[in-house]
Amino acid sequence: MVLELRDIDKSFGEKQVLNRVSFTAGSGKAFGLLGRNGAGKTTSIRILMDVFPADRGEVLLDGRAIDHSKIRFGYLPEERGLYPKKKILDQLVYFAQLKGMSYAAAVKSIDYWLGRLEMSEYRNKRLDTLSKGNQQKIQLITALAHDPEIVILDEPFSGLDPVNAMLLKDVVKEEIAKGKIVLFSSHQMNYIEEFCDRIAILNGGKVVLHGDLHDIKRSYPRDKLIVRSQQSEKIAQKFGQRCRVREDGSLLIQLSTPAEKQAVMQRLTETYDLDEIQVFEPSLNDIFVEYAGEQV
Amino acid sequence: MKQFGTILKFELKGYLKNKIFVGVTIFLVALIAVVIFFPRIAQVFDHETVEPGISAGENNEDLENRPVMLIAGDSVEYVAAVQQAFSQAFGDYHVQVAQGSLSDVKEQITSGQAECAFVLDGPQSYTYYVNNLSMYDENTYVADQVLETVLRVEALISNGVSAEQAQQILTTSVSHQTESLGKDQMQNFFYTYIMVFALYMVILLYGQMVATNVATEKSSRAMEVLITSAKPTSMMFGKVIASCLAGLIQLVAVFGAAFLFYNLNRDYWGDNMIVNSIFDMPLDLLLYMLLFFVLGFFIYAFLYGAVGSTASKLEDINTSVMPITLLFILGFFVVVFSMSSGNVDNIWMMICSFVPFTSPMAMFTRLAMSTVPFYQVIISLVLLVASVFGIGVLSAKIYRVGVLLYGTTPKIGEILKAIRKA
Repeated sequence: MVLELRDIDKSFGEKQVLNRVSFTAGSGKAFGLLGRNGAGKTTSIRILMDVFPADRGEVLLDGRAIDHSKIRFGYLPEERGLYPKKKILDQLVYFAQLKGMSYAAAVKSIDYWLGRLEMSEYRNKRLDTLSKGNQQKIQLITALAHDPEIVILDEPFSGLDPVNAMLLKDVVKEEIAKGKIVLFSSHQMNYIEEFCDRIAILNGGKVVLHGDLHDIKRSYPRDKLIVRSQQSEKIAQKFGQRCRVREDGSLLIQLSTPAEKQAVMQRLTETYDLDEIQVFEPSLNDIFVEYAGEQV
Repeated sequence: MKQFGTILKFELKGYLKNKIFVGVTIFLVALIAVVIFFPRIAQVFDHETVEPGISAGENNEDLENRPVMLIAGDSVEYVAAVQQAFSQAFGDYHVQVAQGSLSDVKEQITSGQAECAFVLDGPQSYTYYVNNLSMYDENTYVADQVLETVLRVEALISNGVSAEQAQQILTTSVSHQTESLGKDQMQNFFYTYIMVFALYMVILLYGQMVATNVATEKSSRAMEVLITSAKPTSMMFGKVIASCLAGLIQLVAVFGAAFLFYNLNRDYWGDNMIVNSIFDMPLDLLLYMLLFFVLGFFIYAFLYGAVGSTASKLEDINTSVMPITLLFILGFFVVVFSMSSGNVDNIWMMICSFVPFTSPMAMFTRLAMSTVPFYQVIISLVLLVASVFGIGVLSAKIYRVGVLLYGTTPKIGEILKAIRKA
């Protein structure tokens, strides 16, 4: 399945929130929707889920207009919260039934997920007796219990301890492996980098960068080297202006052309005692700052 | 439709499991039990004191226990005559001739030795002294009658009529019978009042609950998931109908209990007109009551739900729902004042019985206490049903827009603009 947003416009009053937003996400892969606060991520997600219509443009699934009554969505909103005073099982069953499940199927699926997320002991407890992280795991079940074709996770890792984050990572990997379309929205770039093959960066309601993350990284000129060595000072002296010390102590050497790369690497390896040498690739963080740093 | 059923069930279960809901219902049933069983219980306790049928007797001890009424005046003879006449007329009082001056009389009243005093200025005027004038004090009314009779008898006697003849002339009475061809307001007043009041209480209470319910979902952010899982119309109608059912269940529990207890104790209430009239309410009126209750409930619950969806914090609700509550209270006052004035077909009631926001109470009152042409009932009902659907759909639209707006409560204009776009 391929999910596509095409030329979406949306305004609230005078304010244009989305301006010709287009991106595509495929099944069996995770897609990262990035952008600073107020860039239009949540609005895009809401249009995708038909909470309100777009002013212009369309949402397509495999090239045809999406039928929201046939496709199941799972959504973990950034603003979390369920019914604090109600029993966990009761409200999870309620949400699953709203998504069209029968009572029996809902209970079965919820019991599976409570077990999978190590939450079975809280089955009959009230939600407000749980810690914040555990409440978040319960909310994750509302997004997954009805076996949705499209899973949208908004900041899924915020507020989780490292052990729970690991558990969530495994769950997300399973969902991706099941051939679902998984949409991520997060400010934690390391997670996006770990999961997502494709990304779109929104800035001021416009898509400023969109495509395969690997290709995007490759598109940067390969004319910088990272060198880690016990003899950094000598190397730095040798390259002068073209060399800069990075925060982690390694050196970043600017080459005059990408073609020079091979020769320089060989010369460095022969002349100095190196711990590590590699061609510099920008991290997602670098890319994000470059594209989303300045408000459009 | 399936979604609507799921929401309805979930919301209704929420009400029925709510401790306050259950507690209030049990409390009301218990209260009614106490009131209706009261004559039976009272009889058990009264058993030893006074046997009904044997009058307490005119002994001195009894006379001492009665409140004292003083008679004062310049003419000793006249005072004595009045004292005698008043003793007969005011059976509840110990009527005495006052001793001492006017200030002594006042002193006795303020100190509590006497309850009231009649100071006769002449045959045709007197001053009535009492410490605190009760709203229901009819002593002067009785005194006027007695004194007038005394004067008339004297006048007749002085014109040559014998005392017996004079008595006869003055006590001639006319008997009459009333047959109401339409509604008997005296009979209907109490149950109409109870029904209108029940309508008022239930709509205000449950309307507030619907508003709070929506605002709670919004403030706890459960709305974020709900709005992506269910259609706003299903949400709105599910919530409102669930609260209506909860309200009906509570009403049926309370009134059903009252009816049951009354039938268990029917003999003890005997000839109490008010109570008997309440429980002899005609069936067709009960059905009208049900119809107007449900429709009136819907129209307000939808409005309350829509308002609840525009509030970001629970604290905002009280101010947001104020206009709706005021509208409702206004209608209630028109109805109650018209009922107590006795004319339920006045121009205000006519208008109110067709305006959808007031017609549930106003038309029901007119149906109960007057004779309303059938076509008027139909027009009123058609207008009401159409408005319920119109307002239901509109409120679902407001809800859809409102639930996603956080921060300050939006102005009506902004909401309408957003609805037109959505």
